[in-house]
Amino acid sequence: MISQNRRSFFKTVIAAGAAMAVSGTGTLAGSAHAATAGAINGVCVYAPGLGSARDFVESMQKSAPGAWNVQPLSGSLTDCYFQAALLFEDAKRGSTNTFVGVLDQASFAVVHEAIVDRGGRFHYVTQNGADRVTFSVEV
Amino acid sequence: MSRFVALPKGVSEETFARAISEYRALLGEGRVRTDPASLQSYMKIMIPESEELHKPSAVIYPKSVQEIQKIVGIANKYKTPLWTVSTGKNMGYGTAAPATRGQIVLDLKTMNRIVHVDEELGYCLVEPGVTYYDLQQHFKKNRMNLWVDVPAPSAMASPVGNTADRGVGYTPYGEHFLFSCGMEVVLANGDVIRTGTGGLANSSSWQTNKWGNGPYVDGLFTQSNLGIITKLGVWLMKGPPPGGYYPFLMKFPKVEMLPDIIKTLMPLRMSQIIPNACIVVNAGWEAAGYFTYDKNGKGTNRETFYKGKGSLPPKVFQQIMDKYDVGAWNFYAALYGSPEQVALNWKYVSGAFKQKFGKDVRIITEKEAKDDPIFEYRRQLMMGGSTLQEFGLYNWRGGGGSMWFAPVAARPSECEQQMKVATDILNKYGFDYVSEFIVGWRDMHHIIDLLYDRTQPEEMKRAYKCFDELLTVFTKNGYGTYRTNTAFMDKVSRSYGEGMRDIHHKLKRALDPNNILAPGKSGINLQA
Repeated sequence: MISQNRRSFFKTVIAAGAAMAVSGTGTLAGSAHAATAGAINGVCVYAPGLGSARDFVESMQKSAPGAWNVQPLSGSLTDCYFQAALLFEDAKRGSTNTFVGVLDQASFAVVHEAIVDRGGRFHYVTQNGADRVTFSVEV
Repeated sequence: MSRFVALPKGVSEETFARAISEYRALLGEGRVRTDPASLQSYMKIMIPESEELHKPSAVIYPKSVQEIQKIVGIANKYKTPLWTVSTGKNMGYGTAAPATRGQIVLDLKTMNRIVHVDEELGYCLVEPGVTYYDLQQHFKKNRMNLWVDVPAPSAMASPVGNTADRGVGYTPYGEHFLFSCGMEVVLANGDVIRTGTGGLANSSSWQTNKWGNGPYVDGLFTQSNLGIITKLGVWLMKGPPPGGYYPFLMKFPKVEMLPDIIKTLMPLRMSQIIPNACIVVNAGWEAAGYFTYDKNGKGTNRETFYKGKGSLPPKVFQQIMDKYDVGAWNFYAALYGSPEQVALNWKYVSGAFKQKFGKDVRIITEKEAKDDPIFEYRRQLMMGGSTLQEFGLYNWRGGGGSMWFAPVAARPSECEQQMKVATDILNKYGFDYVSEFIVGWRDMHHIIDLLYDRTQPEEMKRAYKCFDELLTVFTKNGYGTYRTNTAFMDKVSRSYGEGMRDIHHKLKRALDPNNILAPGKSGINLQA
């Protein structure tokens, strides 16, 4: 179980990211209002081995309810790059309105580039300590 | 409060707004962005400085040479500097962020045509947004038996960008600028030139003859802010026949064996028995590649082995070597040619190392390596394959900080001295020595990754001081730095002496008097 404080933190971060993606107007984490429940049609990529990422995903699904397509990025870092690229391209084409992620430093380095290389723009990128990065991308 | 994220030095908000209006009139709003979300990815830095120092004011996406000519016209009119990136993957050297605050990023990823691939003569002509992966896919699709030499972030990096920064790879064509042939360049005044024989009408040898007539100028546009490269010729290697590629690994147990390793390999390299830009990798770098997660979701990085403050003690390094079965030094190279040539050359290579090291060398061939992921990563690199494995280094220490310190070494004794000096300085500041030597034609690129935690302000300060001291001490010893990050370009430029700095600035004044092309690149800035 994650602590109440951490849960509250996740809720703020993820809700802010989701709300900005839905509105399409926000630019900085924390500046948006909470998303309307049910408005999220989101993709969440995560590093499956990273324990705190699993916590994050669990918390996100509770804190920001909606239709979440939760995608582990597995395999080599090269695989991660191409998986993220495909997911982001799919998200842009479909009805997805939120694209978020929780990754370790190495996976984030390649996923960030995969998204940027396909014209993606980030609402925010947050370093959560030394080992974990969370982010939200405009779709 | 300004409506822009940042402004170029000396340019008022009103003037900048007028410039942006003109850029938008030329390219449309979608290709001229000033909003924070569009600029966020150009603010991502890994150097130990504040993002504030490197914030761009805008990003522009041209699609043609003609558009770039008009863009530089507007830049001259309003004095809005342009920081050019091809795909912007210069990770440990400063990423895509400008050297100084307020520059407009000229992102050329939207110019991504493979103009021509010539299988008969083994070359290609590409635009800046083409990646190594794009080229590999092109070869595959068209069933061409060609290899392009790649740097480590091959899947997403650009041959134009990497060559322009004088990057290196790992095949026999590893020195990228050496294997480039012919450029198209937009100058700061909007003129377009084609170097080498490219100026001839209907030239048939632009990508086959490097020199053309008169002074050779291609080098002026590498590590440079004297022009914008819009096309580049790259020589491609013909893939060897089946059985003609033989990658191997040799592991050595002791750090102090480095000079003898170099002494043994250099004659083989110079005689082209080992023809590729081979690599001697230290234990820290090698171990970082084996990063995995335990059942509790905790990554196995340096903290798994050492929870103390400061650098890893030698006995912990030994534990790491034992755990991952890596050498203190790990030498990766490959043989190329016909199967018969390879078999014969292998006798020379394995014989030379066995004779020198006896039981102290463990030799691992592709067959013996089986599915080892790090061997596979090196095997891919030495045949121009796509891999992003090197990014695994970022999990080793965590925190997202990385700077390549890249001095050049020549003789074996210098490699040893550089290793000792670098280790002492890094350890003094609490960092680890994580390195590889890429073996060039006559020199070594000694690549040290200064990994640190950017989430800790105190550690950022230490990392900055550490890099600064490395640079000072190496310079004092006569060791030049072949490439550096945007935080230290000015200092590196000064290390090469006033004479070189003066000629660089004279060229800048002659070719770009308004200082609109990437001020600060390689320490060249008329405003500083």
